[in-house]
Amino acid sequence: MRPLDWIVLVTSLVSIVLYGLYRARGSNTVDRYLLAGRTMPWYAMALSIMATQASAVTFISTTGQSYVDGMRFVQFYFGLPLAMVAICATVVPIFHRAKVYTAYEYLEGRFDGKTRALASVIFLCQRGLSAGLTIYAPALVLSVILGWPESLTTSLIGAVVITYTVIGGIKAVTWSDVQQMGIIFLGLIAALVTCIALMPSQVSFSDAVFLAGAAGRLNAVTTNFDWHDQFNLWSGLIGGTFLFLSYFGCDQSQVQRYLTGRSIAQSRLSLLFNAVAKIPMQFFILFIGAMVFVFYLFTPAPLLFQRAEMQRIGASGDYPAVQARYDRASEARRAAALGLVEARHADDAAAQARQKAAYRAAQREIDGARAQASQLVELAGGEKNFRDTNYIFLTFVTRYLPVGLVGLVIAVIFAATMSASSGEINSLATVTVVDLYRRHWRRGASDHHYVLASRWATLFWGVYAVIFAGWVHRLGALIVAVNKVGSLFYGSLLGCFVLALFFRKVRGTAAFVGMLAGEAAILGTAWFTDVSWLWYNVIGCAVVVATALVVTA
Amino acid sequence: MPERPDAPDEPPPFLGTWRRVYAAVGVYLCLIVLAAYLFTRAYR
Repeated sequence: MRPLDWIVLVTSLVSIVLYGLYRARGSNTVDRYLLAGRTMPWYAMALSIMATQASAVTFISTTGQSYVDGMRFVQFYFGLPLAMVAICATVVPIFHRAKVYTAYEYLEGRFDGKTRALASVIFLCQRGLSAGLTIYAPALVLSVILGWPESLTTSLIGAVVITYTVIGGIKAVTWSDVQQMGIIFLGLIAALVTCIALMPSQVSFSDAVFLAGAAGRLNAVTTNFDWHDQFNLWSGLIGGTFLFLSYFGCDQSQVQRYLTGRSIAQSRLSLLFNAVAKIPMQFFILFIGAMVFVFYLFTPAPLLFQRAEMQRIGASGDYPAVQARYDRASEARRAAALGLVEARHADDAAAQARQKAAYRAAQREIDGARAQASQLVELAGGEKNFRDTNYIFLTFVTRYLPVGLVGLVIAVIFAATMSASSGEINSLATVTVVDLYRRHWRRGASDHHYVLASRWATLFWGVYAVIFAGWVHRLGALIVAVNKVGSLFYGSLLGCFVLALFFRKVRGTAAFVGMLAGEAAILGTAWFTDVSWLWYNVIGCAVVVATALVVTA
Repeated sequence: MPERPDAPDEPPPFLGTWRRVYAAVGVYLCLIVLAAYLFTRAYR
């Protein structure tokens, strides 16, 4: 980071916070502090929904995932448009007309108080854990760039986000999100253009796409059905639909965004905008990761992208052999990649087949050497099942982007964190105050009292998220970890809302028992089987509905 | 649960009805999955 990078970074962040706080003035009642007085236009909600979902994890980890595993993660989002349509047609008008602050408030009207309380507690557990992950990701960025301990950067980021969210309420959160998405798009486009511009002169953009595809990095759709495979067309369309139904229909961090709409139509438009824009956006982010992969075909890449772990294994007696294997394979892959481009230009099918085989063989060697290095990390006392996915994009950014752009991309990471984290903390505080405190502990207090309680609750959840962020690095690739945590709880929440909307005979006790059974089924599946986490939502939802129907019968 | 009188169910700004808008999103999804599939086949 040079002085210009710091100027770009600080200017971006300060302007986001100040603009959000400026738009949030007058948030002095519960309705304004938690729901912006229900006055928001569709485009602000749409970008806020997008920003809340697209945390820093999306940019750090998705690009790394594409680098090592290709673009098939995009299939995860195939269920999103279906879920959005279902939510627009069902829960959006119901929530609006019921004039609720939270999704769980609706459950009391439909079932009873204990079902509402259980749903609220499940949400608090799930979102509280995710909030830690959201803060941890950019802390990772700063620790890589500045060499600071992750605990210090986590605390610093947490403090900024907490302050900003406590003061501004949801209006600050939403309007900041709008500005943050602008910075995010700008930074990502700049990163992709720079990556392509830095490739060798004989490698065109078309060649780069060809090379990424030849290495299996453009595998956007895989049609095989496998319960254990995390990302394929079927898990995306079925499992993804259930996950997004849960996320956008039952998760207060998203429901609260579209509850701020000035009408049902405005809320629907905000969700449908995401139905259309989200898949291309994820495709674009994954494509950046694939291009970073091509970039490193021609530029020496480190054996492991995390410097601390490289230093750790440097003393190992096995390290020189692994490094030598990696270097040989990298050189072979580079030569084969250039040969493949030449054969493509010459339209020589036989040479293309030969070079492609050599290229893929070299890639397998590289993957093997990297796997050996990961084992060395473990043997040297490092993390078990170590993966450096989260460091790949950041290493590229800090080493190869020109001055100024580094600051911009780091601002992207910060902007994404602030938007996602503030939305989460804000929703956690809302559920704590509206569904638990105001409902069970302190009924009938003044509006001012509940605004104050909301601010305290925001502070509490912010501190909680920072503490949890201290140990989330053990969960593996961050983007998957975020969704894994969500999937442990979403299925039962979704099942409860399905019962509320479509099974009129089911009453409170049956729904309550069903949720407990659904949660037990999900946790059992997670601990005792290796079924992919994308299916947890389907299993949980089905068990909740089936159990409630049996109890009702 | 109180009903909210100031939450009108307005028509969408395009395509006339919400049902048509939802159908358009469904068609869009089919097209985008098809495009991604063709992209994968073209570059594998």
